[in-house]
Amino acid sequence: MKIRVERDVLAEAVAWAARSLPARPPAPVLAGLLLKAEEGQLSLSSFDYEVSARVSVEAEIEEEGTVLVSGRLLADISRALPNRPVEISTDGVRATVVCGSSRFTLHTLPVEEYPALPQMPEATGTVPGEVFASAVQQVAIAAGRDDTLPVLTGVRIEIEGDSVTLASTDRYRFAVREFLWKPENPDISAVALVPAKTLQDTAKALTSGDQVILALSGSGAGEGLIGFEGAGRRTTTRLLEGDLPKYKTLFPTEFNSVAVIETAPFVEAVKRVALVAERNTPVRLSFEQGVLILEAGSSDDAQAVERVDAQLEGDDISIAFNPTFLLDGLSAIDSPVAQLSFTTSTKPALLSGRPAVDAEADEAYKYLIMPVRLSG
Amino acid sequence: MRLVIARCSVDYAGRLTAHLPSAPRLILVKADGSVSIHADDRAYKPLNWMSPPCALKEGTGEEEGVWTVVNKAGEKLIITMEEILHDSSHELGVDPGLIKDGVEAHLQELLADRIDTLGEGYTLIRREYMTAIGPVDILCRDAQGGTVAVEIKRRGEIDGVEQLTRYLELLNRDPHLAPVRGVFAAQEIKPQARVLATDRGIGCQVLDYDALRGIEDDKLRLF
Repeated sequence: MKIRVERDVLAEAVAWAARSLPARPPAPVLAGLLLKAEEGQLSLSSFDYEVSARVSVEAEIEEEGTVLVSGRLLADISRALPNRPVEISTDGVRATVVCGSSRFTLHTLPVEEYPALPQMPEATGTVPGEVFASAVQQVAIAAGRDDTLPVLTGVRIEIEGDSVTLASTDRYRFAVREFLWKPENPDISAVALVPAKTLQDTAKALTSGDQVILALSGSGAGEGLIGFEGAGRRTTTRLLEGDLPKYKTLFPTEFNSVAVIETAPFVEAVKRVALVAERNTPVRLSFEQGVLILEAGSSDDAQAVERVDAQLEGDDISIAFNPTFLLDGLSAIDSPVAQLSFTTSTKPALLSGRPAVDAEADEAYKYLIMPVRLSG
Repeated sequence: MRLVIARCSVDYAGRLTAHLPSAPRLILVKADGSVSIHADDRAYKPLNWMSPPCALKEGTGEEEGVWTVVNKAGEKLIITMEEILHDSSHELGVDPGLIKDGVEAHLQELLADRIDTLGEGYTLIRREYMTAIGPVDILCRDAQGGTVAVEIKRRGEIDGVEQLTRYLELLNRDPHLAPVRGVFAAQEIKPQARVLATDRGIGCQVLDYDALRGIEDDKLRLF
């Protein structure tokens, strides 16, 4: 193999493909990055039996071929190279990387021992990269991080014709986002549970492309696989087994009061007041007509109080939240105005965004948050 | 175990010399010959002690009230009794040892009780399933009827995976059970252990002791 490729193109491609290299490879070949040069394209792939990644970039190919080299090393090298064209060639068991006046000789790993990457399933539909990334970002924050409940570490993707619903929960909050897409088959109906962390990384990496192709194959029974493709990058990941609880019943439909607050001053106030909230202690919100009082801390320790303008329709209410969970939700609604709907101080509250104070709430994204019980 | 409470002073002569002035103290003379002198505070570490093997000699005649404890290296612990307030001996017998694995045993019991923690449709075959090289913590069947051997640990480390691998090899020789799949269950699984387990096709299950015990935190939850 002998190829020439732009340094920035190479560095970006290697960095992306190397992210899914296993931290503790059970076999040495899995620490490798597979470089394949053919038909004017250089493709780089990595695989750890869970997640596979493949990226193709333009390259000048003098001699086609395939080589497997240590991914970490190649990533470190390509990041550090000067901004000149990079030449990669192989000679027996060695690969040479030449750029400007630097020259690296790497050991190659046996290509024939490298496992075959899973086949990309057939495309299920497409969605603009930006829409997908923002939707995943909004939902994945609510996913659990606790391995004792693996189901909750996933984001549930539900496809129903031309609408896609993402959902995740850690039992204290529940985030749901709906968006429209272009399905290949207008009657499609499918559900998949994708590891949240992988999905977040993937969605972020694919924003540069116009469109992201989602490809879903099978579901349940551990054989399920989902693929994403966009901007010359392709990644597949194994699905999680199981399903989230039926969330439609968790979301209340009737409320006793609805508060409307401008998001930016609200976020600032929560952040300030939360400074005195010790770990695992809440921020208390008291809504009255026209004003919201935020409080945190206890009388034996530091305390903070702040007032923010708020419109309240319905009964006055005092309710307490974990400040991190509240802030996560407020940043996720991504709207200038926040709407909080309550039933009682021990029942979940529904957070959604409004484009303006007197506009209707945006129904596409909902963040359900469980309050913290107030003692005394 | 001989317990003596006495007003005494103690001198230690050996690599280091030490002197404890006269005061009431507790002196323990244990069955292995060791002697330790305690003050009325702290739960561990005597003021002075002599580890076994050592010999206690109670002085007579002019030496009355002087105890000398000598070890092999010739170091001496000299206790000069002024007034003995209490002196009693008790036969304690052999100690069963500290049971550190209480949690492990309890986890086994709890998991057997709630075997569906491993997945829907799991049924218990038995706890402590005996093999020629020792008992497997739990043997059960998954929803498809396949046999599953479960090794339970508090902290899941490499040796736990090795242990389960040995059981699996043996169990898979039994045509009535084979094929037997392994599940490594622990409250915490070390990354190395997880890699090894996954590489050997053994599933990993992190156990929540509190949830298994039915101890719920008082936080409000959606479900």
